[in-house]
Amino acid sequence: MATIRFESVGKTYPNGFAALENLSLEIADREFVVLLGPSGCGKSTTLNLIAGLEDVTAGSLYFDATLMNVVPAHKRDVAMVFQSYALYPHKSVYENIAFGLRMRGHPKAEIEQRVRDAARSLEIEPLLERRPHQLSGGQRQRVALGRALVRQPQAFLMDEPLSNLDAALRIAMRAEIKKLHQTMRTTFVYVTHDQAEALTLADRIVVMKEGVIQQIGTPEEIYDRPKNTFVASFLGNPPINYLEGSLSQDGRRFVRGGVSLPLPIPLPVQAGRPVRLGIRAEDVDPKGTGEQLGGRITSVLPVGSDQFLGVEVEGAALFFRVGREVRVHEGENISLPVNANRLQVFDAASGASLLWQ
Amino acid sequence: MFFSSIIFLVYVLAPVAWLLSSSFQGEAEITSRPPHWIPHQPTLENFEAIFQAREKKVTYETRRAGDPATGGYIPSTARNLIPSMWNSLVVAVAVVILNLVVGVPAAYAMAKIRFIGRSTSIYFMLTTRVIPDIALVVPFFLFIRTFGLLDHLGSLVITYLAITVPFSIFILVSYFESLPDELDKAARVDGCSRLQTLTRVYVPLAMPALVAVVLFTFLSSWNEFLLALMFTQTPASQTMPIVVASFASDFTISFAFINAAGVLAVIPPVLMAIIFERYIVSGLTAGAVKG
Repeated sequence: MATIRFESVGKTYPNGFAALENLSLEIADREFVVLLGPSGCGKSTTLNLIAGLEDVTAGSLYFDATLMNVVPAHKRDVAMVFQSYALYPHKSVYENIAFGLRMRGHPKAEIEQRVRDAARSLEIEPLLERRPHQLSGGQRQRVALGRALVRQPQAFLMDEPLSNLDAALRIAMRAEIKKLHQTMRTTFVYVTHDQAEALTLADRIVVMKEGVIQQIGTPEEIYDRPKNTFVASFLGNPPINYLEGSLSQDGRRFVRGGVSLPLPIPLPVQAGRPVRLGIRAEDVDPKGTGEQLGGRITSVLPVGSDQFLGVEVEGAALFFRVGREVRVHEGENISLPVNANRLQVFDAASGASLLWQ
Repeated sequence: MFFSSIIFLVYVLAPVAWLLSSSFQGEAEITSRPPHWIPHQPTLENFEAIFQAREKKVTYETRRAGDPATGGYIPSTARNLIPSMWNSLVVAVAVVILNLVVGVPAAYAMAKIRFIGRSTSIYFMLTTRVIPDIALVVPFFLFIRTFGLLDHLGSLVITYLAITVPFSIFILVSYFESLPDELDKAARVDGCSRLQTLTRVYVPLAMPALVAVVLFTFLSSWNEFLLALMFTQTPASQTMPIVVASFASDFTISFAFINAAGVLAVIPPVLMAIIFERYIVSGLTAGAVKG
C-alpha cells in the first residue's frame, strides 16, 4: 500500500551519537524487507523513524510521494509489533486489539467485526476477555500481531517480534508471519539479529552495521555474494571460515603455505596481493571431487543430522559441517575436497569482496 | 515476629486510642488518676462545643467562669475551628489538584521524552528539596507580601505547591520510568497523541503512584504549620493546625476540647485512606512485557 523511501537519512541524538548515517533505501509496496544486524547497528532506529517514534535529523523520508519527516507517529498509518509485545496491561485482549481502531474513530460495529475477524484468524477468540498477564508468551505474541493487523495499515513494522519466544514456537511463528504477509498484501519491515529469520522471511535483506548499510539484496545474494567480511560472517551457521593468504602469480589461485585453492573467478593479476579466503562451513564435501584442503582434526561435534569438524589448516582453526556418515577421529589427518566455485575472496585489509562489487 | 508486630501496633495506636477515648470524656474525667481508657461517663459535650461555639470574650477576670455549654474551659478561639477546617480542606484540595495537573504531564515528559536538559531538570527539581522550609520562610514571606496575598488562602496554595510539586514529580517520574517505553511507542503507533498516551495508557497504569501523590500532598498541606503560621493572621485564612495550636496558648486549656478537635482533624485523612484503599494495588503492570 506504500513504498517507503529513505533519501540520505541521518539520525543523530542530542548527545552527539550518530545512530544512522546517510541511509538510502527504497522499500517497495508489499515487499517484505528484513533489517539485519547486531545490536546497536541502527536497525531499530530505522524502524522507529518509519513509525515516527523518533525524528529524522538529516535527509528525507517518504511514504510514496509524501514527505514524512515531520508527520507525528499517530498520524502515520503504520502498525508495529514489539519484542516485548507492549500490550496494555490494564485492558482486556479485546480492548488491546480494538484500541488502535477506537483512536482512529471507527464505528463501534465495525470495530467489533474487525476485532473478531482478527482474533479468529489468529485463533485467539477464546482469550478476548482476558488480561495480558493471564496469557502465555505465545498468546501475547498473537495478541500483539492481532493489534497490528486489525488496523490494515499501510506498513507493518516488526521489531524483533520473536526474540522472546522459545525455539520451537519461534519457528512456528515464522511460518505464520510469512503467511500473514501473503494474505495481508502490505509492506512489511522486520528487524532482527537472527540470520535464520532473515533468510526465511525476507524478500530482501538489508544488512547494517554501526548505522551504515553494508549490503542490500535477496537472501540468496546476501548469502552467496557477500560484499564484505562483515556480511559474510553475519550469515551462516557455523559462521564462515577465513584463511589469510595471497593471490598466486596468475591471479587464479589462493595460496597459503602448502595450501593452494582455485578461485571461482580469475582475478586481475596482482601477484602476492594479501587476501582473505572465505570458506563456508558446508562448502566441503568429503565425497566430492574438488581440490583438497588438508589438515588435522582437532574436534568432532555430532549435532544429530550433521557433525561439526574442527580442522587445523596451516596453523588456522577452521570449522566445517559434514554428514554424520563420515567416520573421523580427533588427531587424524584429513583431506577435504572443497566446493571451489563457492569460495569467497576478500581484501585482507579492508574486508571488501574482490569477487562481488 | 507476631509478638513484635503486636508491640509495634500498640506503640503506634495507643496515642490515637487515647485521643479518641479522651475526646469523649469531660475535663474532670480526663485529668483523673488513673486515667480511664474507657470513658466512665461518655459525653458528646466536647463536640457540641465545637459545633456550637459562640463568640465569647474571655478576659483575665472571667477566665474561670467556664463555658455555659460544657461547664468546662472552652478556648476563646473555639468558634474558629470549623471555618479553619474548611480553610484547610480548600487549601489541601487545591494543592492536590494542582499537583496532579502540573506534576503528571511534567513527570511523563521527564520520564519518556528525550529532550535537551531532561536530566538537568530532574536534578534541579530534587535540589530544591534539600533546602529546609525554615530557610525559605523569609523569602516566601517577602514574596507573598509583595503580591498582597498575606492572610489569603492563595498564599498557602502557592507556597505548598513549591514544596510538594518537586516531590510529586519525583514519585511520578520514577513510576513512569518503571513502565516500559514500548507501551509509549505502542500507544503512539496506535494513534495516540502524546497527551492521549498519557491519559489513556500511563495514567490508568500509574494509579498506585497517583494515589501516593494525592495522599502525600493532601497530608502535607493538611498538616502544614510553619508557613501557615507566618502567612495567616485572621480566622479568614487560618488553617486547622494554627487554630488547634492556639487552643494551647489560651488563658485556660481544655485537654478534652483539644482532643476532640484532634479527632476531627484526623477524620479527613482517614476518609482519604479508606476511599483510595482499593486503588493502592501493586502488580497492575504484570503482563505488560515479558518478565
